[in-house]
Amino acid sequence: MTSTTSFVQEPKQRRRPTGFAYIAPALLLIALFFVVPIASLLLRSVLEPTPGIGNYAELFGSSTYVRIFANTFLVSALVTLLSVVIGFPVAWLLAIIPNRWGSVLFAIILLSMWTNLLARTYAWMVLLQRTGVINKTLIGLGLIDQPLVMVNNLIGVTIGMTYIMLPFIILPLRGVIKGIEPGILQAAALCGATKWQSLWRVLIPLALPGIASGALMVFVMSLGYFVTPALLGGTANMMVAEMIAQLVQSLVNWGMGGAAALVLLVITLLLYALQLRLFGVGRIGQEGQ
Amino acid sequence: MRKSFIMAVAAIAITFTAQANAAEMVFTSWGGTTQDAQKAAWAEKFTAETNTNVLQDGPTDYGKIKAMVESGNVSWDVVDVEGDYAVQAGNKGMLEKLDFSVIDKSKLDPRFVTDYSVGSFYYSFVIGFNADAVGAEGPKTWADLFDTTKFPGKRTFYKWSAPGVIEAALLADGVTPDKLYPLDLDRAFKKLDTIKKDIIWWSGGAQSQQLLASAEAPYGMFWNGRLTALKATGVNVGESWEQNITAADALVVPKSAKNRDLAMKFIALATSAKGQAEMATATGYAPVNTESGQLMDAALRKTLPDQQATSQVNADMRYWAEHRDEIGERWYAWQAK
Repeated sequence: MTSTTSFVQEPKQRRRPTGFAYIAPALLLIALFFVVPIASLLLRSVLEPTPGIGNYAELFGSSTYVRIFANTFLVSALVTLLSVVIGFPVAWLLAIIPNRWGSVLFAIILLSMWTNLLARTYAWMVLLQRTGVINKTLIGLGLIDQPLVMVNNLIGVTIGMTYIMLPFIILPLRGVIKGIEPGILQAAALCGATKWQSLWRVLIPLALPGIASGALMVFVMSLGYFVTPALLGGTANMMVAEMIAQLVQSLVNWGMGGAAALVLLVITLLLYALQLRLFGVGRIGQEGQ
Repeated sequence: MRKSFIMAVAAIAITFTAQANAAEMVFTSWGGTTQDAQKAAWAEKFTAETNTNVLQDGPTDYGKIKAMVESGNVSWDVVDVEGDYAVQAGNKGMLEKLDFSVIDKSKLDPRFVTDYSVGSFYYSFVIGFNADAVGAEGPKTWADLFDTTKFPGKRTFYKWSAPGVIEAALLADGVTPDKLYPLDLDRAFKKLDTIKKDIIWWSGGAQSQQLLASAEAPYGMFWNGRLTALKATGVNVGESWEQNITAADALVVPKSAKNRDLAMKFIALATSAKGQAEMATATGYAPVNTESGQLMDAALRKTLPDQQATSQVNADMRYWAEHRDEIGERWYAWQAK
């Protein structure tokens, strides 16, 4: 017993490295693979093709670029709204359903999340197109005469992206709702609250921090989305990420591409700062306790 | 258990050493059926002849070429690019000059040869329609394809800024082929505005085939080879070669490519009469080598773009190279409107 004690105590007597030494490798990695490339991108945006802020002036001065940014915000906002409206009941169901069924439902959601993004997007294309399954069924049932236009426009992008974003709001929200003491809802019922009153005045206010942080996450992720808008949206619904890809790959205009990427990055960071300010870094996903 | 692990590691190490002994180079193209054909017609033959392992990469990405050349770490040796890019990149110093003591250019179609590039294959933009959806009488001319009264519904066009669609719009608006260049962009975009809401853009060959076969867009402007391939799968495709617009892909070697000499030899094989004939047979695109024709099946040869010369319109790669950036910016701004 005595020998063990001395063995355990020994490390305490050594000088512990400072906190900085512990995280130095991680800092180095981040500096090398994130800070340096982003800094060089920033430099290009003010150096190419001529030194100055010409790229930024063009970015904010051209109605095309401004429209693409506005469209990016519009799509992200629509996707966020729909994700919350659809995601909340699903998260609630997941939180209260018996475990056996819950795990099946959970598996379905996870499975869809793990399926290749491109495959899922193409699946939507097949479902939504003019000659697709949905239109053929509706016409077959005599509900519509002309096929609905659901791809290559705002509807297509919104549906496709909402589907992809749903797990990102359902999973954290489920945790939040699970953490709500069931007794509170029982108490509400005992005090005479109707089901709607319990929902609107008890459950949703308690889950609100979770809803807000999930929504912000979906919004931020949507801002930078590329594949789904490129495939399901028309050229009139172009989003910023696709524009950057075009500038970098086809037009080989890295100055403008860098400027657009930087503006997107700054917006994203501001939103992230807002999220940290409102919900804190450690508490995301476990509010409502 | 442990022993078998060590054996496995040793085996992998041996495999890698063995590969390192054979020479190796990288060929980059656009993927899909076209690159498959290039691999079979050129890369595999090259490996058999020179014992050089040809690695396939893709898709071609001009941003990556720029990044490689600027960083001096060029991993692509031969790249299939669009003709107008080849001219522009050559002028900007992004490409190696080709070694015409290795590559025999005397038999190559001079339209597609510059100091920095030779044709890879050449294709036509043609009018295609789904005859099951619209009947045998589909659009015959570019003017028909732009006529939404005569041919209502969606039509599909190439999404990217490249030679083709702007020419088609001007021809549809009545510009004669000899007056096409310099391109009247204002007029072209005005004409395109008239059908903009009826356009579905295709961004790759496979997508164009899917749009036509499903009649999502029952007519449109296509690479001729993609229609040939679609017909072979049993789709009832109608096509019109009236004023077909030709353009060529080009083979280039990025500046400071690691295997410059192998790259020249590879291009020599790819542009040889036989290499071009095999490529054309597999894809329905035309050979850039004038002697390939006699090596090919006569019936097949008749269907290729180089036999449709009567009303053919040549996209001017040099004009495009000069105005590529300017047209591109306008094009994407117009699309996003």
